[in-house]
Amino acid sequence: MRIGTAKFTYKHDEALFDSRTQYAWLLVLACSLVAFPFIANEYWLYLACLVMINIVSATGLNILTGYTGLVSLGQAAFMGIGAYAVAYMDNHFGTPVIFNLLIAGGITMLGGVVVGIPSLRVKGLYLAIATIAASMILHFIFANWGSVTGGTAGLTVAPPVLFGFSLDTSFLFYWMVVPVMVMMLLGAANLFRTRIGRAFIAIRDRDISAEVLGIPLLRYKLLSFGLSSFYAGVAGGLWAYFFRIVTPESFPLSMSIFFLTAIIVGGMGSTLGSILGAVFVTMIPEVLKLIVGWLPVSVDATLILSPVRTIVFGLLIIGFLIVEPLGLQEIWRRIRRFFHLWPFKS
Amino acid sequence: MDFDWLFFAEISLAGLGTGGLYALTALAFVIIFKSTGVVNLAIGEMLMVGAYLVYGLATGFGLPIWLAIVVGVLGSGLAGGVIERLAIRPMVGESPISTFMITVGLASVLVGAVELIWTADQRRMPPIMPDEAIFIGEAFVSSKVFYGFFVTLILISLGLLVFRFWRGGVALRATAFDQGAAYSMGINVPRVFSLSWVIGAMIAAVAGVIVGAIGGISPAMGIFGLSVLVVVIAGGLDSVLGALVAGMAIGLIESWASGFLGGEYKVVVTFLILIIVLMIRPYGLFGTREIERL
Amino acid sequence: MKIKTMKNWLAGSVVASLLGVAGIAQANDKEIVIGGSIPMSGVFSFAGIGIHAGIQDYVKIINDSGGIEGYKLRYVPEDSGYKVDVSVAAFKKITSQNKVDFYYGDSTGFSKTINPELNRMNSILMSGASFATELNDPEKYPYQFLAGPDYTEMFSILLRYIAQEKPGAKVAFVYSDTEFGRDPIEASRKVAEELGLKVALELMTPPGSVDVSTEMAKMRRAKPDYTIFHGYILAPIPEFIEQARNMKLDTKFMGTFWTMDNSTVMQMGEVGDGFMGVMPYRYYYDESAPAPMLEKIREMRPEYQNVPYIQGFLSAMLYTESARRVLAEGKELTAENMKAALNTIKDFDTGGLIGVPITISGNSIPVGRIYQADASKGQMVPVSDWIVLE
Repeated sequence: MRIGTAKFTYKHDEALFDSRTQYAWLLVLACSLVAFPFIANEYWLYLACLVMINIVSATGLNILTGYTGLVSLGQAAFMGIGAYAVAYMDNHFGTPVIFNLLIAGGITMLGGVVVGIPSLRVKGLYLAIATIAASMILHFIFANWGSVTGGTAGLTVAPPVLFGFSLDTSFLFYWMVVPVMVMMLLGAANLFRTRIGRAFIAIRDRDISAEVLGIPLLRYKLLSFGLSSFYAGVAGGLWAYFFRIVTPESFPLSMSIFFLTAIIVGGMGSTLGSILGAVFVTMIPEVLKLIVGWLPVSVDATLILSPVRTIVFGLLIIGFLIVEPLGLQEIWRRIRRFFHLWPFKS
Repeated sequence: MDFDWLFFAEISLAGLGTGGLYALTALAFVIIFKSTGVVNLAIGEMLMVGAYLVYGLATGFGLPIWLAIVVGVLGSGLAGGVIERLAIRPMVGESPISTFMITVGLASVLVGAVELIWTADQRRMPPIMPDEAIFIGEAFVSSKVFYGFFVTLILISLGLLVFRFWRGGVALRATAFDQGAAYSMGINVPRVFSLSWVIGAMIAAVAGVIVGAIGGISPAMGIFGLSVLVVVIAGGLDSVLGALVAGMAIGLIESWASGFLGGEYKVVVTFLILIIVLMIRPYGLFGTREIERL
Repeated sequence: MKIKTMKNWLAGSVVASLLGVAGIAQANDKEIVIGGSIPMSGVFSFAGIGIHAGIQDYVKIINDSGGIEGYKLRYVPEDSGYKVDVSVAAFKKITSQNKVDFYYGDSTGFSKTINPELNRMNSILMSGASFATELNDPEKYPYQFLAGPDYTEMFSILLRYIAQEKPGAKVAFVYSDTEFGRDPIEASRKVAEELGLKVALELMTPPGSVDVSTEMAKMRRAKPDYTIFHGYILAPIPEFIEQARNMKLDTKFMGTFWTMDNSTVMQMGEVGDGFMGVMPYRYYYDESAPAPMLEKIREMRPEYQNVPYIQGFLSAMLYTESARRVLAEGKELTAENMKAALNTIKDFDTGGLIGVPITISGNSIPVGRIYQADASKGQMVPVSDWIVLE
């Protein structure tokens, strides 16, 4: 039973992981991540890669919405920018994969900053609606700027080549996604140990007070948009390399709602929440398929799968907001606390 | 270059017709916002539910179309009340952003429910309005648009009067202005909340019937709601007059954009307007300025 | 729900899903597997359900008569909801659990996405619900084919008919602002010019548009003799036709494959009377000429089967035929061999599904006939001969 850990330096207090047990568990996680592709079949690897791309994007959205309190319904459109950037770079310049991802992140970051400019005038709901508008306008650009984006037909991407390996199966692709995802997650987690991260949280809680305390609002809000878009851009780039085709219809508004669901369900304002949320929401269709397959109904059950999934998504948002606004990560914490304090009650 | 005035007149009339529908749906939105302070992103989906209910009653149960419309609209009102009770009431006191996201979830639920019952196929509304051509001078107006416009006008005028003079309307305004004071004046605030959602849903249903009659019924109808969002922002989230004016204006502008620039520019122009409004006058033409207190 | 109960549920479902997936089907040696991402729910469900039934029925017919060359057919479908990522996921799932020989894809997006994978695997021959012009390229899409004419070929057939009926006529193209809609427009413009027709108007409508009055105003000025719709299933075609009638606009309306199903056109009511279009297949109820396969279908399914059903049925037939030819030569079922076998199909009798014997020299079957809606009979009736494009 472990109630707390005694800390003797500030550095130790600020650390992300603070106890031997945590390190041990991290090691187990790392080992299982490495072992996973060898025991899973192609389909599960495919799902795993998809989940990891979603984790990156959800983390980005969480920075903007969960930590800074700026609700955004434009995450999918930003991913689209990243995806098109990667596709364009790959088709026209043939530059290395990691370079493309970074450029994609950078371009999307600029896009995010531009979209964030209205945040100087409007807040909260109005900003959310502005992001919807941005999403629609970006969709228009994707569909009509034919010379760059290939119009409605879109662009195709060749399989990414990393260290001489052509990553054209999920198995190989997995090895690229995992390090990228881990780095982005660590980046996000560490962001909130710094001044910038705390400024974001201050803005979320009460932005006028934050300004009074000396945090330049516009600069930090734009920074938040920028960082979150960087994540979206990288996620979009990975998406492009994974699906190898980018069309304007690949990143609809419903995908933005998907990511919003992910962070609401997982827990806003928490990196663990992004992970749990993305995993949960990506796996829902699979679980639903299994459940529907088991129900003692005729084959027609497959017909209702799609609308049932839509309903489930909506109910998840409503349910979690009403019942557990802190999300899955809060449930996780409660479970952890239970085990920490056992046999005493929390 | 000779400007084709007739063409301009025709598309302007079409624009006013659509504008009327925007205004009507915006009215439903404004009623809900004025009373409960909830930004209802699911307004397009509530419109869709109204259309489907009437369609289902008319075709599935074989009711004569007028009866189907009446029952359908009342049914939508009931649905609105249920939604308020189950999904919105528990969120009283929470941040407006959370409530906004609840409506996002609600939109999903409604779309899924409609798809489940009626499948995702596109459908046609049984004929409601007479369909000979209407000519205003030389300009042609589609009959559905024409009659729809009049229904809209009547309902909006009714709405304005209600808010001014009817006790319920005054109660709605009072709760919007200051809940505490409304309570102490003996106004049953929870009942006002329910009432506003019921009325809002019913108005949206009427709009849905007209939209369905013009453009067909499908689970994707809710996209109408996005344009309505622009209308209410431009007009002011809590202004009925704003809904009317902005609805007409945006309907016209969309029509002109589609006519002179091409169909694909319609959506972009609408959202550019939104961005411009947000930058210049975020509270809309007639909206009340929010004063934030610490 | 209490946390403990929730935890139990969570653990249970995790274990269950692992078990479910771990059950990898053992591939039978003497088996030909047809996989499919079928849009059984979502916007395209009316097509998906038909396609599903069509493939099922054909597989049953073949298996009941002993299979081909000693092999039995097995059909493994998954619902895709007409979404590309779901389709791709279904593809990955089915191919990881079975040795798949043929695959039916639900959309253009899916066919394009999965193409590199197909080329790498060289074990699957694919067709699908898409008739996109892009896919009709044997170099770029070597292991795919279309069970009919591509959209540009459909337009060509329509335009040829128009040029015959009214040389030098004015034509209008009305299409939706989607990949589906835009696909054939540019190429078709050129075909129209070559045939001496004038493209008086091109209208692109945003998806989900409600009112078409603006577009109608433009059409009234252009006064086309024929209007071709493409990229829609039903809406907003009835609106266009109704308003045109009200305006006393004397235009004949036409559509492409996905608008031409009998049930879809009849939904238009009396507005749809006289609506024409191109259809490469015979309709379910067609008894104008001997058609043994249609008779069999009518036996198996007494109620009307829509055109997507026939498309699925035909696709399964073509899969089976190419497999048969490969196996008859004692070769392996690789994608290359199967495609080559498909391309040897010359003057092949489809049992009456298509009115003339077909030849597949590239990726498509450029054949079609013009049908017209007869509202009084509630049926689509042919108004031209079978047109075969070179």
